[in-house]
Amino acid sequence: MNWSVIFEPDTLALYGQGLVVTLQLTLYSLGLGAVLALACALALVSPRAWLRWPAQTFTYFMRGTPLLIQVYLIYYGVAQLEWVQARWDAVWPWTQFKEPFFCTLLSFSLNTAAYTAETLAGSIRETHKGEVEAARAMGMGHGMLMRRIVLPSAIRRMLPAYGNEVVMMLHSSSLASTVPALLDLTGAASRVYADFFLPFEAYLFAAAIYLCITFALIGASKLLERRFLGYLAPRKH
Amino acid sequence: MHRNSPVKLQVDDIHKRYGANEVLKGVSLTAHAGDVISIIGSSGSGKSTLLRCINLLERPQQGRILVAGEELALRPGPGGALEAADHRQLQRLRTRLAMVFQHFNLWAHMTVLHNITEVPVHVLGLPRDEAVERARKYLRLVGLEGREDTYPNHMSGGQQQRVAIARALAVEPEVMLFDEPTSALDPELVGEVLRVMQVLAQEGRTMLVVTHEMGFAREVSNHVIFLHQGLIEEQGDPRAIMANPRSERLARFLSGNLK
Amino acid sequence: MRDYYLAILNGSLLTVAVSLASLAVATLIGLLGAAAKLSGRRPLVWLATSYTTVVRGIPELLMMLLIFYGGAIGLNNLLEAFGYEEGVDLDPFIAGVLTIGFIYGAYMTETFRGAILAIPKGQMEAAWAFGMGRAQTFVRITLPQMVRYALPSFTNNWLVLIKATALVSLIGLHDMTYLAKQSSAAVREPFAFFLFTAALYLVYTSLSLWALRRLSERYSLGADKVQLL
Repeated sequence: MNWSVIFEPDTLALYGQGLVVTLQLTLYSLGLGAVLALACALALVSPRAWLRWPAQTFTYFMRGTPLLIQVYLIYYGVAQLEWVQARWDAVWPWTQFKEPFFCTLLSFSLNTAAYTAETLAGSIRETHKGEVEAARAMGMGHGMLMRRIVLPSAIRRMLPAYGNEVVMMLHSSSLASTVPALLDLTGAASRVYADFFLPFEAYLFAAAIYLCITFALIGASKLLERRFLGYLAPRKH
Repeated sequence: MHRNSPVKLQVDDIHKRYGANEVLKGVSLTAHAGDVISIIGSSGSGKSTLLRCINLLERPQQGRILVAGEELALRPGPGGALEAADHRQLQRLRTRLAMVFQHFNLWAHMTVLHNITEVPVHVLGLPRDEAVERARKYLRLVGLEGREDTYPNHMSGGQQQRVAIARALAVEPEVMLFDEPTSALDPELVGEVLRVMQVLAQEGRTMLVVTHEMGFAREVSNHVIFLHQGLIEEQGDPRAIMANPRSERLARFLSGNLK
Repeated sequence: MRDYYLAILNGSLLTVAVSLASLAVATLIGLLGAAAKLSGRRPLVWLATSYTTVVRGIPELLMMLLIFYGGAIGLNNLLEAFGYEEGVDLDPFIAGVLTIGFIYGAYMTETFRGAILAIPKGQMEAAWAFGMGRAQTFVRITLPQMVRYALPSFTNNWLVLIKATALVSLIGLHDMTYLAKQSSAAVREPFAFFLFTAALYLVYTSLSLWALRRLSERYSLGADKVQLL
């Protein structure tokens, strides 16, 4: 195997560029997705049908279809709508739809929002009835109940599943390589393969980088779990 | 003890260690046909471990086990504990020793009938109709006639334990091993299980019972073994040693278990 | 226009074929992997653990590209070494099925391993105490109960696998995603075609979910839904 080509500064710079885009996409979509997920989760557990049904339809669609199709729908599909095309030269936010980065970011965010919302909603529903009753019995209103009792508990219990979701998002970001004009880490590897005809070396190098980041994320997740979920661990003394 | 009847089970000098913790420090016992032996002692005394060493669910570091005169062939195994030298012999001897567990351990995915016929059909090779007949006979004995198509999870603890006893009876063992059979039951359900065990004792079955039920130990068994920290502290006729314990530890143990 | 929709519908058959074939591969690998991890023999445990760790640590698309492009060249090099000059094209169907099967085999390993560990030990102990051998216990006691515990996670893996098959469109397999993309390039109505394809995936995943829920209910006959012990 010919590794010398990989370790040339130009090639490494290409991987570096790709890595930056990958990390940006992962972090921003997780951030935006988390905010959307909170709103969506609250809608999912709401007793009001007019809030619940749109949220349920949203998560049903996002979780029932492949991410690749969702990326295509936004990048190719939305961009094709005349309605959008008429506005995207002047009106914000429609101007953003010309940017491949934005389109990809939007589809990733919506996707992670749907999965995270369902996980959070499940976690909220599993809250111990006794804790809610105690809070109500002491006169807490609904808003305070959610803010101080239910959500902190639900978010903590969701940590293991969310840690998984973060890793999933990192891996899903590789789909950015299917969007022309975007160069993420996988895209960089494909470029190196195309330039030098070394598929093993090119893709293995990228794989190693993903693996390192994944391990770091899993380690961080375990640390967070130990800190925030310690109260659920079995007795040690 | 019935000294004239044949020896059904003999256990010599069992030692069992978990890491640095020696749980059994050399325990021996002999069970003649018809003996009902109660093994009592506080938690950590090693009673359950002793029972589980007899059918090799736990592997002792040292000791001999003889079932109806046949010695279980043992050889040193991984971790310094003994293991069965002949797996087929172990399996065969295990079918001569039926066990009733504290947590019943009925197979959740099978009906009551299948639980009881499983071993006779698939291990002993009995034809299905014979096994079903046996199963029905023992279900009647434990008072659960007609419940054969129920699943264990749809029964109370007391009923499940009685099914477990029927399952053990169905293999027609030499010796029955009871590992704290009533400890996991609600108080109201303990009685129905003890009554069945009393019937079995009166029938003349050989039983080894690890138990906390002092009433059963005194009234139904004909020999009591008091284990303390891995050794037999005292043993003998139940009424004698429980009314007048010779060892101070047994006296203290009994006073803490007023039954 | 209608021809394009029909083509996409046709491609859905290929999608179903790829997903079912991959599921078979993944389930087989999963059972072997779980057995290896639970065997206690260190080299087996090490091998299985490395497998699941690495496979779950890199993106599926990357693994697919690695196996498809790398595999083709590797295979050809191997054949050259044996004197076979011509070179062989790796069939994208086989490459896709093997890749997806290989990837989800890692997830299935964890599924089956977790399920076997979830069975209360007493179930197996009772079998051993009554003289059942290891193999007999595994087939008559462990496996039937494992199915019940494995179903939720198995269902999850299956649903994710269905959606992952869309990636085979990127190595040239004419599944419905590939055909949708082609159609939208030809007729310039991407929204309609992709929405149609999305609907087809939704039908597939919904049907699967319904069927597996029915199966899970049937297998729960012997136990309560909520495990209290």
